[in-house]
Amino acid sequence: MATDTDTARGEGFGEVSRVRGIVFEYLSLGASVLGIFALAVLLIYVTIDAFDLANADPLWLLTYFLTLVVPFLGFCLYSARDPALTRRAVAVAGGGLVAVAAVFTAIEAFVGEVPRLNWQLTYLFVAVIPLTGYLTYMGARGRPGSVGFGLIGRLIGGTAIGLAFTVLFLVFDERLWFLAYTLGIVPALLAYAYGQLRDTPAAVTAALPVSILGVLLAVFAREALRTYPTTAFIYLWTLAIPIAAAGAVVVNGRGSRTAALTAGGVPLALAAAVGLFGRAAGLGVGGPNALVVIAVTGVPVAVYLHRVFDAGDGLTGLGLPVLLAAGALAGALVVETFGIPTPSPWVSETFLTEAPSRTASEAGLYPAIVGSVIIIAMVAVLSFVLGVATSVFLEEYTADSGVVGGLTRLLQINIANLAAIPSVVYGLLGLGLFANFLGLGFGTAVTVSLTLSLLILPITIISAQEAIRSVPDDLRRGSDAMGATRWQTTKNVVLPEAFPGILTGTILALGRAIGETAPLIMVGAATTVFSPPSSLFSKFSAMPMQIYAWANFPQAEFRYGVVAAGVITLLIILIGMNGTAILLRNRAEEGH
Amino acid sequence: MTDSTESPDLQRRSGLTRLKEGTYGGFFAVCAAITLLTTVAIIATLLSDAVVFFSQVPITEFLTSTSWSPNPRGGGQTFGIVALVIGTLTVTITAGFVALPVGTLTAIYLSEYATPNARSILKPMLEILAGIPTVVYGYFALVYITPALKATLFPGMSTFNALSASLMVGIMTIPMVSSISEDAMSSVPDDLRQAGYGLGATKFEVSTGIVVPASISGIASSYILAVSRAIGETMIVVVAMGAQARMPAVRDGLLGIPYINPADTLLESGMTITVAMVQIAGGDLTGGTIPYDAMFALGLTLFVVTLVMNVLSDIIAERYREEY
Repeated sequence: MATDTDTARGEGFGEVSRVRGIVFEYLSLGASVLGIFALAVLLIYVTIDAFDLANADPLWLLTYFLTLVVPFLGFCLYSARDPALTRRAVAVAGGGLVAVAAVFTAIEAFVGEVPRLNWQLTYLFVAVIPLTGYLTYMGARGRPGSVGFGLIGRLIGGTAIGLAFTVLFLVFDERLWFLAYTLGIVPALLAYAYGQLRDTPAAVTAALPVSILGVLLAVFAREALRTYPTTAFIYLWTLAIPIAAAGAVVVNGRGSRTAALTAGGVPLALAAAVGLFGRAAGLGVGGPNALVVIAVTGVPVAVYLHRVFDAGDGLTGLGLPVLLAAGALAGALVVETFGIPTPSPWVSETFLTEAPSRTASEAGLYPAIVGSVIIIAMVAVLSFVLGVATSVFLEEYTADSGVVGGLTRLLQINIANLAAIPSVVYGLLGLGLFANFLGLGFGTAVTVSLTLSLLILPITIISAQEAIRSVPDDLRRGSDAMGATRWQTTKNVVLPEAFPGILTGTILALGRAIGETAPLIMVGAATTVFSPPSSLFSKFSAMPMQIYAWANFPQAEFRYGVVAAGVITLLIILIGMNGTAILLRNRAEEGH
Repeated sequence: MTDSTESPDLQRRSGLTRLKEGTYGGFFAVCAAITLLTTVAIIATLLSDAVVFFSQVPITEFLTSTSWSPNPRGGGQTFGIVALVIGTLTVTITAGFVALPVGTLTAIYLSEYATPNARSILKPMLEILAGIPTVVYGYFALVYITPALKATLFPGMSTFNALSASLMVGIMTIPMVSSISEDAMSSVPDDLRQAGYGLGATKFEVSTGIVVPASISGIASSYILAVSRAIGETMIVVVAMGAQARMPAVRDGLLGIPYINPADTLLESGMTITVAMVQIAGGDLTGGTIPYDAMFALGLTLFVVTLVMNVLSDIIAERYREEY
């Protein structure tokens, strides 16, 4: 080894240079944070541009800092209940203010002006945001904090998923879904439930064929039937009622029957009332979409509230949404009363709900967001099914030796190589195979989804395999010893244990799919579409495609405004997805 | 079971159970076969159109001609990959100058110096670098890095240039180098380190003199993977480097030795293999034209190069791994 030659000249013993070691240690530390630091600076600038913070009045920042950030930090400290942490937080907030102001002024005086930054913004990004992140983490460990963040997470997540559902029905035929649900899924669920309750395995086995038969029947009936219930009623029957029933079953499993009825019934009644009669009653909101959003948000919130009240601990945490809403309102009120000039952020309601435009102030991302949601939904289903099935086959159904073993190794090597193929090449596959050879169309949702599914399939498989491999062999042996077949062991033992890991891996892989651009260009996805797609075979765009298109615009409002807003929207969605994945993983790890 | 006097027939299963078992097993096998079919489909798609292309444009011309102008509207088409290779090499080498040293030092820090706490924070943050969509990196390079470099170091730089694109590609590939290298370094047994300390070596000497040589095969394979990733990188380069295939000017240096000034390629716009593909795809996709087939010829080149590099990296990691 290398040490042999080093020790051969042992006369240097006792004259070891410490400087070299220290320099090297700090050099490598610097290297570790170099990339992170560069990315952080870029993200700060893109945030400033997207929210127009460079033009924000310092008083405006101060107002919201006092009404929104300080109460939130106070809540986190209250939840953590750690006097030492409180002292440290105050020291960082106060000392950071002095230090940032001093250093920033010194830099401006001696080095030169820093573009689009002032010391208030620097304080915000260097001290306040990291402090908020850290205190959120510490606060979530306390009971009130975990209750509050759990509630906020369900409110935001439920709204996002509800909106995603409504977006999906832009391309998927809700009447076909209504028939498939009524003729396929409901009978199958009934058969399954009957089989479980009466202990008749035949009924359970029949569930899958029944559902397939029902769906096929629905496809034919869709052609023949002419009259359908209204969209709101379809949503109520196919989405709101099953979600409410699922919530009620969960609460019922924890004990109380009346609580179960309330947890399922109240959100359902609210959703039905607003959805069916909201518009007529002049509430300003209403219609089928509101029904879906209220049901998807309300039921998990109700179930969660029941759990919190049942535990009877950390109830103050439930005030967090009120605290934040009141803070935002108070801030807006102060800004309004004193006439403080407000910045005009590029990420705004119009940006998220309008179509792209040649004028920067009217440009919007809505059709691209719809496109991305549809692709992600289809890619999620395809890659999850294929990924789980393949990894189950590789981990549970193959042998290590013989012909089968050789074939397994070949598959394994092949998957590793597929993961390293550049994404443009997958684009060519999509273009040659799906668009031209199979005739699925250039840049349609189907072509893009199939291409992206194949692209992330290797990553999904590799992470699912890891999750399945981490299931202890004892459990499998135990199941085998009870006389279970291989499929029964897989279904009852392996998959439930591995499920959180598989889900985490799939969501992380989907994060990759949502940001991919090159394959979309290769299969001919449109850079700009002005209306959301109406079917799976219509031309459509996605968020990264729209960003790519806008980045080519030479005007400064686009370069530093609209594109920055698009980037921030994309990154927020990515952070939301990856954050969910990491939470799921942590939750699963805590459970063991 | 324990009560039964006769030994039960463990293998007997009803026909329904056997049918179910077979159905599920078959379904899983079909899904696994799809991964194999994907590879076959990629090769078949690339080859079928590339063969058409090479029947129109001789392969020697493709590999040696220095001019690339697919000109979809017809007239004066030339398909020489050399200029594209030079563009790709420029980006790859410059990105390598960022990613390889930084990634190696990061791996050494994470594996040898960092406390478990610091590692648990640094590692996920480094993974973020690889998780940012590449079109976002391209936007950063175009809108923030290029103006910053123009204002400070290179006033004569063009708006679309290879340097800022390469820097971003480098930053993106850091986690690739660091995570694989760190795995290799962490798997060096502690006995070797302890032996080093026992001989009076400092931590620096142990890290650079024992751990790095012992894990050199892992480090080398991580380098190859990172380089192959940089070669296939598309969106950063498309957005920030522009799309002009050009040969760098060959200058006469001392004693008449010809040389290429790196600034000629780095500070100007250029075109990589991937950009050429995207540029053609932005035009005509219906097929049947030479530029359309050229796209597949480029894709085949890219596929072969990255495949060879991945296999190479596998072989190095396997064959030259020190067994402990």
